[in-house]
Amino acid sequence: MIQELDARTKIIIVLVLSTWAIFFRNIQILLLVLLVSICISIFLKCDLKGVMYKTKKLFKIMIIIALVQSIFTKEGQAIFIINGFPILTYEGLVKTVEFILRVAIIVVSASIVVTSNYREIVQGLVQWKVPYEIAFMVSVAIRFMPIFSQELKDVVTAIQLRGIEIKKIPLGKKIKVYSYLFMPIVSSVIIKTKELSMAMEMKAFGAYPQRTSYMVIQMKKIDYIVISISVLCLLSSIFLYLI
Amino acid sequence: MEKVFALKNVKFHYKDSKRISRIFEDISFDIFSDEITALIGENGSGKTTVTKLMMGIIKPLQGNIYVFGRNIKEMSLGQIGKKVGYLFQNPERQLFATSVYEELSFVMEIKGYDKKYIDKEVSQTLKLLNLYHLKNDVPFFLSGGEKQRLALASILVNKPKYLVLDEPTTSLDIERKEILSNIIDKLRKEKIGTLIVSHDNQFIERHADRIIQLSKGEIVNDTRT
Repeated sequence: MIQELDARTKIIIVLVLSTWAIFFRNIQILLLVLLVSICISIFLKCDLKGVMYKTKKLFKIMIIIALVQSIFTKEGQAIFIINGFPILTYEGLVKTVEFILRVAIIVVSASIVVTSNYREIVQGLVQWKVPYEIAFMVSVAIRFMPIFSQELKDVVTAIQLRGIEIKKIPLGKKIKVYSYLFMPIVSSVIIKTKELSMAMEMKAFGAYPQRTSYMVIQMKKIDYIVISISVLCLLSSIFLYLI
Repeated sequence: MEKVFALKNVKFHYKDSKRISRIFEDISFDIFSDEITALIGENGSGKTTVTKLMMGIIKPLQGNIYVFGRNIKEMSLGQIGKKVGYLFQNPERQLFATSVYEELSFVMEIKGYDKKYIDKEVSQTLKLLNLYHLKNDVPFFLSGGEKQRLALASILVNKPKYLVLDEPTTSLDIERKEILSNIIDKLRKEKIGTLIVSHDNQFIERHADRIIQLSKGEIVNDTRT
């Protein structure tokens, strides 16, 4: 039963986990939060493996950003020095690990929301009195994200099928090849935006101030319990951390 | 006749979180280099999927696919693309540059060809497809048919040994279809074969030496005309 939580309950859980990720500046606590996020994701039957696979490249970029950040952090005891210039400090290393943990928590917790249908998320937001225009924008973003990701993959495939072996060409040319990804993606975004706006106009989007919905989602007892526990955990942990 | 593609007991399913679409359970056939093969079948019969499998865009669950005798498992998309030109069903996905001229030249520039050679090849190909007058235009603003021809030009300029055209006549009028027909005839004379995926019976009847008919992921007919 708990696996069928209301989309709003899942949003609250994600907000709590993300707040912890941003608020705490302690590796042990962040590790604990990551562990909690993973446990919740597994419990709610999230596709953690799939999420990890999809964000594999993101993590590579994150690690590079974190390493650059650590190089430019001059505080703390130097660990690695070249010509008297500290390249890596203890403080920098700690910040790097904290940064990676934060991103990991956000990615894992985001996988919790994805278990809900996007329509349920939008409906949840509308029933929370979020203006429909904003909720609709959220739904468009959720719906179009996988489409654009697929298009990006298709464009990379199409470039390679022109006989370009991306892995074998030098970095300078590789950057030039990647610059060509921009055009089809931007044109696709423009076309899709135009088509969507036309479809919305034709369906008289926003013509009436009041909207009714065929779909109405209802929170159950378990949702109230989970939300109460989540909020209580958040408040008490922040209180305990501050005193 | 050289074998361009050899599909051996290929199995393929599309999978998403909710369902599995079984496209091919066990499909095998060969495609030869100097003939024109047409792949026909109703919507959803797996025509585009089979071309994507042949080009290495998607991988089979079981079985093997060979391109000019090499297993595609050992080949990169770039290596396949050097030998076989592929025209996507939606040509917009294979247009990348900010001008028609650049669309054809950038791959050769990346490969390090001489500027004079690039200019000669690009101009020739653009003239062949009646696109030369548009050489400074932005591909994004071209009409559907022009985009289709530009995508084809961008493939031809790389001098492939074989062509795979997915619905090449979709956005072409009679005149442009005739241009495409002439190009296919010209390529045939140069011993460059083509696989055409199409619903255009007239176009197929004019060109195809062999017609493979797919239905529900199976070959129901394979005849030489």
